[in-house]
Amino acid sequence: MSAGYAAVGWNRQKKIYDWIIFGFCVLYLLTFVVLTAFFNPDYTFETVLIRSTSTLAVLLLHIILSIGPLARLNKKFLPLLYNRRHLGVTMFCIAAVHGVFSIMQFHTLGNVNPLVSLFTSNTNFNSIAAFPFQALGFFALIILFLMAITSHDFWLHNLSPKIWKTLHMFVYLAYFLIVMHVMLGVIQYETHPVFVILISLGAVWLIALHLIAGTKEVKKDNQKFNPGTEGFVYVSEANEFEEGRAKIFCIDRERIAVYKHDNKLYAIHNVCKHQGGPLGEGKILDGCITCPWHGYQYLPHNGQSPPPFKEKVSTYDVKVSEGKVFLNPNPYDEGTERPGASIN
Amino acid sequence: MSKSEFYIGWMANAPGTFAKHAKRVLLILFPVALIVAYLLATSQKKFSSANFEYGKLTELTGIYFNKPVPLLKVYDKNREPITIPLVGYGKHGAETAIMEIENERKTSLNGKEVTLKGTLLYGDGKTILQIDKNDKPLVNIGSGSAFSVVERDLGTQTIRGEIVDPKCYFGVMKPGEGKVHRDCAIRCILGGIPPVLHVQNKIGESNYYLIVGPGGEKMNEAVQDVVGEPVSIEAKVMQQDDWIILYTDKESIKRISYAQLRNPGAKVIACSSMK
Repeated sequence: MSAGYAAVGWNRQKKIYDWIIFGFCVLYLLTFVVLTAFFNPDYTFETVLIRSTSTLAVLLLHIILSIGPLARLNKKFLPLLYNRRHLGVTMFCIAAVHGVFSIMQFHTLGNVNPLVSLFTSNTNFNSIAAFPFQALGFFALIILFLMAITSHDFWLHNLSPKIWKTLHMFVYLAYFLIVMHVMLGVIQYETHPVFVILISLGAVWLIALHLIAGTKEVKKDNQKFNPGTEGFVYVSEANEFEEGRAKIFCIDRERIAVYKHDNKLYAIHNVCKHQGGPLGEGKILDGCITCPWHGYQYLPHNGQSPPPFKEKVSTYDVKVSEGKVFLNPNPYDEGTERPGASIN
Repeated sequence: MSKSEFYIGWMANAPGTFAKHAKRVLLILFPVALIVAYLLATSQKKFSSANFEYGKLTELTGIYFNKPVPLLKVYDKNREPITIPLVGYGKHGAETAIMEIENERKTSLNGKEVTLKGTLLYGDGKTILQIDKNDKPLVNIGSGSAFSVVERDLGTQTIRGEIVDPKCYFGVMKPGEGKVHRDCAIRCILGGIPPVLHVQNKIGESNYYLIVGPGGEKMNEAVQDVVGEPVSIEAKVMQQDDWIILYTDKESIKRISYAQLRNPGAKVIACSSMK
């Protein structure tokens, strides 16, 4: 969290994270290239480059798409989530090597522009078996490119979190395009079943992981609350709160985080303004509610980030009566100060 | 995990249990990378042993013919012909380079003994010569030759195989066939490289057929939609020295299934017998 913009806000963890990504990529590429050269001495450099980068990019994409739901299921995966954008940009760069080199290999030095060639060589768009699979990879690469160049808080703030998040949800479309690119391309060429088995296992893993994590969220969101008086609903017993931590309640489809701080309860909107992280799963540090995803902070009594930061979230009324906690789900304007409710 | 532990990425160190968990995840991910790389690298189809002598120029002397495709007939010491189809630089046929030579010399090369300089591609008993105007491919031009082409009419046949571009197939690219190479093969053929039908029998023996129109005209654009796919071609089959030519038309080229390709049937030409 910073007030200005830097290309990368380096810290020790980020450096370790990037060195691990680098080591992972080098290990994979070296293994693939050396084994190909050993088992296939007639290999060509161009083909090995195209294949090693494509398979590495697909592997990285599976890891990237797994991190979100894994972090929802187990907070210990948060260190992988924090710098996930570095992994995403790395994956794009590797996919770009595959894409650019493939276009050069298959479409340059011809009688038309390489990009024209990409869409006019194979025109069997009405056939599944003969479908021009390279176009699918091209569009996936465009999506990954847009995601990579906007993988910075500058774009998050300037596009607005909603638009930014929507843009980055297109990663699932990119994933689908890539799966189809593989299924209609290399799977139709290679005869060994390991290719179709691995891509299928990857898809099953990701679908199962997202369903499990999603089901957990839905269960939380479907919790029923009895309507109370004056707009307040009973949500919990006061003694169930832990100092510096929150409980999340989903009322009328809005998630509200109720924090206990200095023996008082404060309610704020659960969604972090940065990337939509669950503020209720965070912790109060230095008097600030701290988002578990990227450490963005908000003051509990007004939902405002401490100066010089400008993020603000909605606040809510909360009251405690006879040891029972009641919450009014009608939000105040973002950053509105509320007194909180004393537990004693 | 201790309840007091809380991870924030901008802190210098991750709490103990988070750091331990991250290490355990890495202990899984790195072996996964090795296993995936091993499985994929060792499961690839064998690369072709064809060769492209990139950067090496070779001079060949023979008789140039512009039909059925631009080619050079080189004769071995037993005066047996070796037919070497010509291709141009990149994804282009040889016509432009030949035409420029002919315009420059103000004479037709057809039927004349010439010495050409170019880059050889070869594999599976076939040889191709790439000529590039930047290499000044014409070394010498002689007079007309007394050598004649031996032709044998093999009748009308139905042949099943895959249409490839011979430049990539015989060495420039690996693979130079199949779905993954399809776009490139189309671009090469549309650029003037003559289409070739590759036929393979059940024991992996291959044969190759140059494809031209009924009157010997180019079929490059006519085959665009079926390049790199299993096809059945009904054609008048002519053997010209060591190459076989298919005289066919667009309507006689039909897309078939891979199952049909693998089980050609009795009426389909047996590639091994044509060698």
